[in-house]
Amino acid sequence: MKTRLSIAAILAAGAFLRLWKMNVFGFNSDEAVYAGQAAALAGDATLGAIFPIFRAHPLMHQFLLAGVYAFGVGDLSGRLLSVVIGLAVVYLVYRLGELLYGTRAGIVAALFMALMPYHVIVSRQVLLDGTLVLFSTLTLYLIANFAKTRDPVWLFASGVGLGLTFLAKETGIIFLGSIYAFLALSPEIRLRFSHLAVSFFLMLVMVLPFPASLLISGRSGTGQGYLIWQLLRRPNHTWDFYATTVPQVIGFLVIAAALLGLWLARRDRSWRERLLLLWIIVPLLFFQLWPTKGFQYLLPLAPAFTVLAGRMVSWTADSVHAGPAGTSRLRTGVAVALPALIALSLAAASWQRIQPGRSDEFLAGTGGVPGGREAGTWILQNVPEGAAFLTIGPSMGNIIQFYGHRKASGLSISSNPLRRNPAYQPVANPGLQIRLGEIQYLVWDSYSAARSSFFSDRLLRLAEEYRGRVIHTESVNVPLEGGETVRKPVIVIYEVRP
Amino acid sequence: MTRSTASKHALWPLAALLVLFAGPGVRVAALQAQPTHGAQTGTPIQHFIMVMQQNHTFDNYFGTYPGADGIPSDACMPLDSAQLTADCVAPFYVGDYPMSDLSHDADTFALQYNSGRMDGFVSAMQQANLDGRLAMAYHDGRDVGYYWNLADEFVLFDQYFSSAHTGSIINRMFWVAGVAGSEFNRIPEGGYGDLPTIFDRLQERGISWKFYVNNFDPSLNYRELQNLDHLPPQIQWLPLLNFDRFIDQPELSSRIVDLDEYYQDLENGTLPAVSYVLLLGATEHPLTDIGRGQRVMDRMISALMVSDAWPSSAFMIAYDDWGGWYDHVRPPQVDKYGYGFRVPALLVSPYARRGHIDSTRLDHTSALRFIEENWQIPALAERDAQANSILSAFDFSQPARPPVFISTLRAAPSPRVQVQRIVVYVSYGLALIFGTLVLTVAALGRGRAAVKSSGETPG
Repeated sequence: MKTRLSIAAILAAGAFLRLWKMNVFGFNSDEAVYAGQAAALAGDATLGAIFPIFRAHPLMHQFLLAGVYAFGVGDLSGRLLSVVIGLAVVYLVYRLGELLYGTRAGIVAALFMALMPYHVIVSRQVLLDGTLVLFSTLTLYLIANFAKTRDPVWLFASGVGLGLTFLAKETGIIFLGSIYAFLALSPEIRLRFSHLAVSFFLMLVMVLPFPASLLISGRSGTGQGYLIWQLLRRPNHTWDFYATTVPQVIGFLVIAAALLGLWLARRDRSWRERLLLLWIIVPLLFFQLWPTKGFQYLLPLAPAFTVLAGRMVSWTADSVHAGPAGTSRLRTGVAVALPALIALSLAAASWQRIQPGRSDEFLAGTGGVPGGREAGTWILQNVPEGAAFLTIGPSMGNIIQFYGHRKASGLSISSNPLRRNPAYQPVANPGLQIRLGEIQYLVWDSYSAARSSFFSDRLLRLAEEYRGRVIHTESVNVPLEGGETVRKPVIVIYEVRP
Repeated sequence: MTRSTASKHALWPLAALLVLFAGPGVRVAALQAQPTHGAQTGTPIQHFIMVMQQNHTFDNYFGTYPGADGIPSDACMPLDSAQLTADCVAPFYVGDYPMSDLSHDADTFALQYNSGRMDGFVSAMQQANLDGRLAMAYHDGRDVGYYWNLADEFVLFDQYFSSAHTGSIINRMFWVAGVAGSEFNRIPEGGYGDLPTIFDRLQERGISWKFYVNNFDPSLNYRELQNLDHLPPQIQWLPLLNFDRFIDQPELSSRIVDLDEYYQDLENGTLPAVSYVLLLGATEHPLTDIGRGQRVMDRMISALMVSDAWPSSAFMIAYDDWGGWYDHVRPPQVDKYGYGFRVPALLVSPYARRGHIDSTRLDHTSALRFIEENWQIPALAERDAQANSILSAFDFSQPARPPVFISTLRAAPSPRVQVQRIVVYVSYGLALIFGTLVLTVAALGRGRAAVKSSGETPG
């Protein structure tokens, strides 16, 4: 009963952090794309004409979201689904921790997961990574069950879990490397080749919807094109991107607790730590080497960190009970204070991150875009249907398309097919398009301008050249150094004439 | 002083009184309440704009448009109308077929019409030493995508006839005056004299009007013909330049303006009640780029849509004559001038029925009829008095529709999205069901497996 209450309290805390002011800002670019795909799947004819169902990634999350969108398309309902998936991850982390290190470790791990800024931020958004983490954690739980019971049914199930992970996002296949490394480095876990083959076969069966649906729909080039682009594209962030962004959102104390626990309880080392470490190391290495880096890419590692941190807390508590009586008060204090301190630090960091602070710059994956939804909604209400927009880049274009129900192209999309996401088409000659009346509006935004001053200038030149008239502006309050705020335009919509 | 300005001045004392008693806030509203176009309208339409393009038949542009009275499936035109057993030419998509300006005078009409047998479309051209097969060529959404898209969203007229079975000059006279203006398709030597036009009627009643001309040259009118060895298109296609009063009287001549003013008027909120438009250089006359006409039309309609005038406007497109092209509908002969063969015609308006094909019998004088009905003006001549109006294309019981930008490109109808949806639902749905089954089996077997486990306890 006590455990159930604890889990319920943790889920409530996790839900609070994920729901608090969740929808103050509208979708960012990725959210707009996935929600647009889901709307197309749900039969929304307008968004279906704008967002192709097949773009780059598999469609499990969009498929689940389409079920929600059958009752109406919107940003709030989309994000609520992400919250539900996020809370399912928290529960799974509890089950994983419980399976590996007992109930106390499971509860602590779930608490850390529920409060962790990294997971809180991502599970407030319509991103594939939330579903990826759900299925990758499920796979980890299944393989842990196999390692513990040696029952091949769990191995088969982990094949299914890995397939589902892939269907959430193709990068989930990296965990095949983690599983392989784990089984290869764990001689105590004896394997039959036939069991391994069945598990692998089941994974392939589960993966099948992705290539099969592309093939049947005549879009097999889509996935190939995306892969080629990902392999050949230039790095989008510096090599130290993860080192400088991810530890703080996982929580320095969580990482420290996980590592400290590994050191302090080194005598108790078993396959469990090996499994969790490989669940962290293999994808970490992969994403560090992969040229494309994204804020949310390392999120599937978070459950392993929390379980290792939970293990450390649990180990400390066990040590308290096993220690000399004279020091028990101090040790009890430490055993209670340690998880409380970590939880408080996580909660404080999450609380800070979920406040709707305004900024004129934006890191993809970290949340909604201030002004984007409002600009799109204004377009929906005030710009003729069928109008076409030109934005600095495709990111703002996606937001305009989702909320504004109008087509938008990105000026920065390269005409070199090896240098652009194949989901996007370049605008070869924007001046000509304006003269032909195929583009009637330009959208400048500070977020894209901060990323590319070249294309920002080019768009503004087009606005000047074609007698651009500002018809709408979205502004935000940007804090100054002295603590004051200044109202700054972040999105400007121009009407242009041939 | 015209009646329009007189009526405006009459409102000034009232406006001044309102300002005096209610403060300056009222002033703006009072002035805005002045009737800007001089008269009340019989419908919500306060701005009627009509563009007259050139030389295509209905079948040439819309012969394969779904739902319209288009090309019959068994259509085949004999090479020689005197020998019906001779080989025939079936209508075909024009594609890259070599283009020429087909004969389209009264004699050609007579041969093609062939006393109502409608079988001389090819042979008439052969007799004029032209490629008769070309008369059977047609365009479709690939070439006139913008117009097809307009038809999808607004109104397409499929029984709109050219007023006269001859060329542009007489047809355009019917458009402005409701009469032929001359016996033959030629401008009379001394112009059209005192013949009244719709613009005279509008001017008399203080109803604003303009004739917008693309690339307008104010120095070019019928008086210049004696110095020229050819008939410039502006004179030929702009009937008002063949009237002395529209050349000499500033209050009339100042209303014939360059098309640039159309955009300025839209921006300034000064679009007149009635606007006629001649798109010189973009009339779609054969041998010119028909895409250019559509692009200018797109620009004009888009500009109207984003202006304040949109909620009370109607924009009409028609073609002055048939250009020698095939059309399968026999034109009724209402007098010695016509009708000529059907021509394409479209209506764009916030009150236009959506995707409606209107089969009311119309001709160029139907536009006059609408103007006369809407602004309570008596008919100019018998033709417009007898003509059907375009009113059946409107639905004034509905509120004004918001504007919709129409693409110049015709998207191929694609059932693909539906197929893709089904594929995704089936494949991902099956995967989820299968996955759930396997996981359930694993979970159910857990108790059994626990018994068999290695006996490890949680670390």
